[in-house]
Amino acid sequence: MPRVAAVEPVGTPGEESGPAGVADLIPLVRRIVAARVPDPATADDLVQETLARVLAAAERVEPGMLEPYAIVTARNVVASMWREQDRQRRHQHRVVDLRPPEAPDEDVLAAEDRAAVAEALTRLSDRERETLLAHEVSGQDTRSLAAELGSTAGAVAAQLNRTRARLRVEYLLVSERVEPPTERCRPVLLALSSGDRRRQREVDAARHLLECDVCARLSAPLLGRGRRARDDELRVPVRTDADIVAARQAARELATKLRFSPTDITLIATAVSEVTRNIVRFADSGEVVVAALEEPRCGISIVARDAGPGIPDVERALQDGYSTYQGLGLGLPGARRLMDEFAVVSETGRGTTVTMTKWRGDA
Amino acid sequence: MTAVPRLFSILRQGPYLIASVHTALDDSQLVRFQEDLVHRIGADRARGVVIDVAALDVLDSFGSRTLRDVAEMARLRGAVTVIVGIQPDVAFAMVELGMDTGSVLTALDLEEGLVELDRCVAAPPVVPT
Repeated sequence: MPRVAAVEPVGTPGEESGPAGVADLIPLVRRIVAARVPDPATADDLVQETLARVLAAAERVEPGMLEPYAIVTARNVVASMWREQDRQRRHQHRVVDLRPPEAPDEDVLAAEDRAAVAEALTRLSDRERETLLAHEVSGQDTRSLAAELGSTAGAVAAQLNRTRARLRVEYLLVSERVEPPTERCRPVLLALSSGDRRRQREVDAARHLLECDVCARLSAPLLGRGRRARDDELRVPVRTDADIVAARQAARELATKLRFSPTDITLIATAVSEVTRNIVRFADSGEVVVAALEEPRCGISIVARDAGPGIPDVERALQDGYSTYQGLGLGLPGARRLMDEFAVVSETGRGTTVTMTKWRGDA
Repeated sequence: MTAVPRLFSILRQGPYLIASVHTALDDSQLVRFQEDLVHRIGADRARGVVIDVAALDVLDSFGSRTLRDVAEMARLRGAVTVIVGIQPDVAFAMVELGMDTGSVLTALDLEEGLVELDRCVAAPPVVPT
């Protein structure tokens, strides 16, 4: 590096291409930047940045060339700001920590929560509690439960649903530390919790909510359940092969609603199929969230999330033909080709999140 | 077997089998389809197979690979396989995905598929001697 040689020609003092010359350039630079950046505060920053760079280089630039140098520098500064903004936008999702930060009161809240759940559990009947715990905690499936109880899998599942609905109600009552003020409260809350429309009509739930303040307050979280799913966001829990089909059908449904072209819909469904299969293959369980995007234009976003082992080498997993099971190794790279934006965040031992976006081609 | 509606059917038509997929299959159903079909090729002494996939909404890497494997297994069992009914959008997605399906015979629809089978079975590829 000829750094030593560069030291010498610096010494050309007395020439006024220094600070004064630079000051004359301010209006020019201001004009160039303002034409490209509408926000005055940002524009001001960029003008300063440009002048600082020009000033630093003033001694190296030939006399008379300072003006063109300033023009190019101003353009470069603006362009690199845009690039930076774009990069930030693209990488924004990486900054998001998948785990919410641990608040100082989290332990206390968690303990209270546990106590409330435990209390609520004691309010269930023995049989309800045992069945629920066998299914949810021990992971016993409905079929074998049905065999033990001398019932059918469907009946056990329905029973479990009713138990869960009751548990939600009891949990709310415990955690809010209220006793239902009237005889009718509990049946109404139960009907709301189970989402059983017919039962809600029978107990005249809507009227009771108007009359009873306690129930009106308690019912908010119960009613909130499932409402989100109806909106422009579909959430598909993923465990088995069949969920791959469910996930891609959810994506297809939403993409159809967003008026994607049939070809794009199939591309999206195929990509969803690939990333969802990865969850089933590698992580046992996870979820796929399909959401509509309005900004900056109409599109669909798919987030496939799992808490599995993670991908040790994401770069390699994104290469064609890299496969750790008997596949074609087309899963991730293939899905990337099908979508407009594609990002994988993975941490060994903590899980993988694949985020993909497809924008609607404006026809 | 429980009384679930059939997700695919395998019918005999002369020396050929016509396998139709009726709905979107998940992976394990696809594998069962593969096994049933390979078994039936032996049981029915079929010389050719037409697989109609018009009802598949998506042929992703697993689906494509399974079909390719079926064709290869069928070939090893002495039958020619023709895939028919790949939807235009599905074809588009397969190419974008980067599937290599060049070795599999295809035809536009069932009728074309049977014609193709007739041609292949009547004049088997010349083996260099």
